[in-house]
Amino acid sequence: MILILSAVIAVVFGSGAFLILQRDLFRVVVGIVLISNAANLFIISAGLTRGEPPIYPLLEGATIADPLVQAMALTAIVISSSVAALLLSLVYRLYVAHDSVDIEDVSAAEVREAEALERDEDPGRDPEREEEPRGSPGDVGLREDTR
Amino acid sequence: MESTLLALAVLIPWASAAALSLADGRRPLVGWISVAGLGAGFACVLGLTFLVLRNGPVETVAGGWPEGVGITLRADALGVAFAVVSVGVILVSLVYEVLGGVRSRTFPALVAFVAAGLTGLFLTGDAFNFYVFFEISMTAAYALAGYREKGYQVRAAFIFAVINLLGSVIFLIAVAALYHVTGSLDMEVIAERAGRVRPGSIISIATAVFVAFSLKLGLFPFHFWLPAVYVGSHPPVAAILSGALANIGGYGLLRFGADVLPRELEFGTAVVLVLGGASIVYGALQAVSRHETVEVLAYSAIGQAGYILVAIGIGGPVGYAAAVIYAVVNSMNKALLFLAAGTRGPLIGAAFAVGAFSVVGVPPVAGFVGKLAMFRASVEAGGVALTALIFVGGALSFVYVFQVYQRVFWTPEQKGEKVSPPPIRALVLLLAGLVLAAGLWPEPLLALGEAAARVLSGGPG
Repeated sequence: MILILSAVIAVVFGSGAFLILQRDLFRVVVGIVLISNAANLFIISAGLTRGEPPIYPLLEGATIADPLVQAMALTAIVISSSVAALLLSLVYRLYVAHDSVDIEDVSAAEVREAEALERDEDPGRDPEREEEPRGSPGDVGLREDTR
Repeated sequence: MESTLLALAVLIPWASAAALSLADGRRPLVGWISVAGLGAGFACVLGLTFLVLRNGPVETVAGGWPEGVGITLRADALGVAFAVVSVGVILVSLVYEVLGGVRSRTFPALVAFVAAGLTGLFLTGDAFNFYVFFEISMTAAYALAGYREKGYQVRAAFIFAVINLLGSVIFLIAVAALYHVTGSLDMEVIAERAGRVRPGSIISIATAVFVAFSLKLGLFPFHFWLPAVYVGSHPPVAAILSGALANIGGYGLLRFGADVLPRELEFGTAVVLVLGGASIVYGALQAVSRHETVEVLAYSAIGQAGYILVAIGIGGPVGYAAAVIYAVVNSMNKALLFLAAGTRGPLIGAAFAVGAFSVVGVPPVAGFVGKLAMFRASVEAGGVALTALIFVGGALSFVYVFQVYQRVFWTPEQKGEKVSPPPIRALVLLLAGLVLAAGLWPEPLLALGEAAARVLSGGPG
């Protein structure tokens, strides 16, 4: 049983790690989901016990299954699912902005934007201060504001 | 009384975060309410710090469960030191943003969630609870990193989230493994039982913990995500990320390394020292070669993390005290530098210079106290190479911060450059004054560091 479980965890974690290394951001999200589920399996296997359900009143002398790992796994599932939702929303934002979920396309689009900005720059401006705020005080690092 | 304060310190940011997530954060009133909520939380943490320093650790079990069953909240000197500085930095950053005008309805709520998660994390005595709080603050931070919703910020936020989630999963696996080998989630009990576990399994767990926190802290081989995130983010967000959130890494290494698994940390001393040294040199060299202010500061963060790691590697009361003092001072420096670099107007250059001197470690600013503690630890450890390394790191940091200073504040004023409104400038100056004051009157800082080191070396905190 332990061998099967560890093999399953290894395979799930490995596939997740493989997917994280892909260029397609959607696959990266799926990879994260797989890896967090490998962690959930690991938690369950960390307290693998057989016994009566841990509900009061407890039977005298009977072995009681460990309830703590179930509680931890539940919490971890809630966290990983909500984080997956957040990641998907970030991917969607990128898709809306760049019409692609491929990291290379996204980076290329950003480089093009930056170059376009540099061409539009006022030649009198110091290039190192290109990020000066125009819209509001306290903005550094907002290239698009200077468009 | 003490346990009420402890519960309040965790609960107030929570309640205000939950309430604020329903409100429109762009309205100034909502912004100020969030400042008030966070201020109350900060006051509780501050009160707790005084109590802990005077009477020793405060402990309470959540939900009225008997001890050993319920989740423990435990405030000792190490936890409150990190909590005070982190919540303080978040508070200042939030005030900065509210004064400048919040541009997203979720900003105050997200900041409050980061604060709530961090307070909980520093004040919990339970390993799994630590993970939950850590995820809460990280998740809020992923959303914060994409605050302005520009394309590259969203990409930076995505990278930040994926890398850190990987770190969280590794940490979660380590927590589950600790539970498996010790049968408990309470940090004190784990620390007690870890000595009886087979060394082979506990070493791999300790490695997983180390990797997870090094990712958070942005140490040398795990740093690759860090510059992209900081360059993309807005000054207060960058201040929160590097001044408050990065503390998770330092605190985690101290708590799980020095407190829970001290034998394993000792076993890995060589690795810790080498990685720390590599971080110092790599971060400083990269920072010297960069031109954009935010990028320089981002690489500087990698170098500063290296100092904390070296101090942890040296260990012992002096080393741990140096690590805590350096982490606290570093948070203040980073917050000041990021905020000052995002502000324009008279006297801001002076504020930046205070931060720059503090990074270098020139008296009388707070950084001097941190550097002095580092030197003391390295001399005590007897390593000439270590002392030289710290000195070289300091010299390089002098080069890069003053390069930034020269480029940003010594160029003639641009046409169309807007001077920041007086309240924002006053805030940045206040922060600079605080860094200066901490250097002029270093006793509280030193007392905090020494008390925290006593906790880690096994004595009463």
